[in-house]
Amino acid sequence: MPSDIATKLTRFFEARGCAMPEIAILQPADPFLETAGEDLRRRVFITENEFGASLCLRPEFTIPACLHHLASPVKLPRRYGYCGTVFRQHRKGSGEFLQAGIEDFGRSDAVEADIDCLADAHGALAACGVTKTTTILGDQAIFEAVVAALGLPQGWQTRLVRAFGNDDLLANYLQRLTSKKSVGSGTETTITPGLAGSISAGDVAAVEKEVAQAMEKARLPQTGGRTAVEIARRTIVKARLSSTRLDDAQAAALATFLAIDASAEDAGDALAQFERDHALDLGLAKSALLQQLDLLSERGLPLSTFRYKASFGRRLDYYTGLLFEIYGAGQDKPLAGGGRYDRLMTLLGSTSPIPAVGFSIWPERLAQGGRPK
Amino acid sequence: MTLIIGIPSKGRLKEKTLEVFDRAGLAITLSDDPRNYRGQVEALADVEIALLSASEIARELSLGHIHLGVTGEDLVRENIPDWQEKASLVAALGFGHADVVVGVPEAWIDVDTMADLDDVAAEFRLRHGRRLRIATKYWRLTQGFFAGHGIAVYRIVESLGATEGAPAAGQADVIVDITSTGSTLKANQLKIVQDGVILRSEARLVASKVASWDENTTKLRNQVISAIQSA
Repeated sequence: MPSDIATKLTRFFEARGCAMPEIAILQPADPFLETAGEDLRRRVFITENEFGASLCLRPEFTIPACLHHLASPVKLPRRYGYCGTVFRQHRKGSGEFLQAGIEDFGRSDAVEADIDCLADAHGALAACGVTKTTTILGDQAIFEAVVAALGLPQGWQTRLVRAFGNDDLLANYLQRLTSKKSVGSGTETTITPGLAGSISAGDVAAVEKEVAQAMEKARLPQTGGRTAVEIARRTIVKARLSSTRLDDAQAAALATFLAIDASAEDAGDALAQFERDHALDLGLAKSALLQQLDLLSERGLPLSTFRYKASFGRRLDYYTGLLFEIYGAGQDKPLAGGGRYDRLMTLLGSTSPIPAVGFSIWPERLAQGGRPK
Repeated sequence: MTLIIGIPSKGRLKEKTLEVFDRAGLAITLSDDPRNYRGQVEALADVEIALLSASEIARELSLGHIHLGVTGEDLVRENIPDWQEKASLVAALGFGHADVVVGVPEAWIDVDTMADLDDVAAEFRLRHGRRLRIATKYWRLTQGFFAGHGIAVYRIVESLGATEGAPAAGQADVIVDITSTGSTLKANQLKIVQDGVILRSEARLVASKVASWDENTTKLRNQVISAIQSA
């Protein structure tokens, strides 16, 4: 990597009020696997020390930045910047890449903080001479608002929200929600008529008793894992969910929403049209996005280069709000990406929630970025 | 160049393999010395037999140290990264049947499908302060299968034996393990998730794609394969 890019980025981050902490190359592997999931295992360089602890070469900086903050907390809000090598396994080519970015912790003005993050991502690219870009915006909160407005039972809402960002999975759930035949009822679990009666009557105590007996018979531990009452409750909820169907109007609304892909200038109109056509109210989630789009143009970012894509999401349970990816002209891999992840600090052990938003840049991709093909 | 075929060095897999080769007219002669791990095929002068453990056979195929081998499909898919680039599954041999399955406690009466397991995994952290734990020695197969069902948040606990005991021992909540009749699972009060059969495995004749294939070894390979396929 051209070291002048690193210098430019570091200078930019410092000018934007970032602390630049030293982040160790060798990191404990658990926080990454716990938050990003086991899928990451095959993509990181992982090793074990003599005492059996799993360690990995840092695959990114967001989690180390969070851990750094939690280990040596300072007064919030606080911004951390980084620029260095990350390590990921690839079938071909080098396993070392540069990554640079900003993580912004603890701001209560989320709408403004999101836009600062977006603006800084563009500013950092501009500092490296990349100005011709397009940006895709997504928003987890708006999808959650749509699902809530449709009036589905809570269990289905959480399933759909969880699938947001994974088009195949979402399509699969939607199909099950619209299919006329019942799902999940053909079971090899032996359910006695008595138990079936307790389930349909919603008698948690009776179901719990049967589950507890089965757990005892299997000598399952009484603590640390799923409890009898938890299983009983979900059994009853599931029995209700399996008979829930989306009606045609609800299914059409979801499909229409997920197909929205509008320039940022038209996003407000597209969402308003959607609300009118389907008689739904997206409330605060929509107004927050519109406010953000207004702020974008106030910061001098050209709205015409931004698109809002309703189905754009990340399937990680710690992302909560705005998401974005910035592309160079004619490139299929993003130069930068970021978003709001208000649940990550708690997952990593923070005792109180800490709102957080950040972005990362792939400096090696800048070499081709911003130039016409 | 000599064609090297790896076959299992002990147990039922070895016996069944010798039977198949016999039926194919490729009777294998092994030394009387049980410590000699080499053999010959009477009918084919330029073929050498290497007796190896089933998992070594998968590895040696992926490294191109042997040309052909008899091993379980599960071991090929689990032990060889990007296995399609290293090996091809040639013939199913009709023995060594075993399924790699997702097993959950029978007491989980609310879990019948992978979608149920997805719900349970998603809520686990919130309820119990840790991710759902899966005991298995098949971490590659598990990851691929769970990702296919959109399940990302769980942890794998590596298990090197008696995996079916992991839930009762408190080491894991669910398991991914191999089963031929399901009786071990049943004895441990575990059930197979309905759409949780990851792989129906059996013994296979496997060809290495990365071994050195010259005219002679290629000719011998084709002879062995067609003999086994029509056996």
